[in-house]
Amino acid sequence: MGNGNKEDLRFLQLNFIGRILAGFTHEIKNYIAIIKESAGLMGDMIKAGKWGKNEARQYMEVIASIEEQIERSLALFRHLNRFAHKMDTPRVSFSVNEGMEELFALMSRFANQRKIRLETDFQKDLPPVQSDPAMLQFLIFCFVREKLDRLDKDSRISLKTGRSDGAVTITIIPQGRLVEAEAESPCSAEIRQHVVMLLGGEITEKDHEIQITLPLNMANL
Amino acid sequence: MSRTKVLLVDDEVEFASALAERLELRNYEVKTANNALEALGLIHSYLPDVVILDLKIPGMEGIEALKANKKFDSSIEVIMLTGHGDGFSVEEGLRGGAFEYIIKPVEIGELISKINLAKDKRNKGNT
Repeated sequence: MGNGNKEDLRFLQLNFIGRILAGFTHEIKNYIAIIKESAGLMGDMIKAGKWGKNEARQYMEVIASIEEQIERSLALFRHLNRFAHKMDTPRVSFSVNEGMEELFALMSRFANQRKIRLETDFQKDLPPVQSDPAMLQFLIFCFVREKLDRLDKDSRISLKTGRSDGAVTITIIPQGRLVEAEAESPCSAEIRQHVVMLLGGEITEKDHEIQITLPLNMANL
Repeated sequence: MSRTKVLLVDDEVEFASALAERLELRNYEVKTANNALEALGLIHSYLPDVVILDLKIPGMEGIEALKANKKFDSSIEVIMLTGHGDGFSVEEGLRGGAFEYIIKPVEIGELISKINLAKDKRNKGNT
């Protein structure tokens, strides 16, 4: 891979982080907007003298809504925190299922915008892999983003994990009508091949399904 | 004097209902819709003075809903709800006939002031 492509990869990784942050901040802002209006409503009700027993139930409902938004925010913060720490070290033992769940949670806004459902079908008791989790998330992001751009509204994308001989597999399954992309994906086939090579894995594609096979231990390569 | 009729369109149900109640406590008449189809139906049946429209509603882009509203009755004023970083959509919305925009999380005083200005504009247009 030439220096130009290395720069492309670096640019795409930064773009990936930017997209994740943009999606995250937008979601959090929505949750904060609900908290703000709910708190504002309680203040308005008190100012209007609505604080008798009759209103107690409404107050409880508003408080429950605030608590729910805080829980949603905390869950997303936890995902972002783990996502950020995946870049601490390029080789670490991690759970592929957790990494994929985190990625899908952080990508949910993009899917919602396109009215596409993201689904997971994870194999339980998958062994941890010794690899580069941030690079793997970037690779899966490239594939899923391309499918999001090409799928019709009300489609689905399933992410399935499994185990094969000394490796873990991650399969991206688009379910819906795929149309031609308006523009070529910035994450070119060459870049993807380079990334999967760095991870010591391989990519296979059949009928728009993409499977990434990742060795359990990158260090043994 | 009749109350200002507001239609609030946002897919976040809790946000829409809390904001609607806050406006009602300030003597506005408010209905909410959580998707484009519901919103367009209410524009025809409820005939609001002002529509507060989230640009990212399900079922239709907010901009398309704005244009459909303006086609039905150009005097119904639209205030767009948006997040930061939606500069392009805001510009497109204003070009498409929106009266104003407001950024989430909403400052209630600012929203009230914009609703009143939008209602005044509608009244002037109808006289």
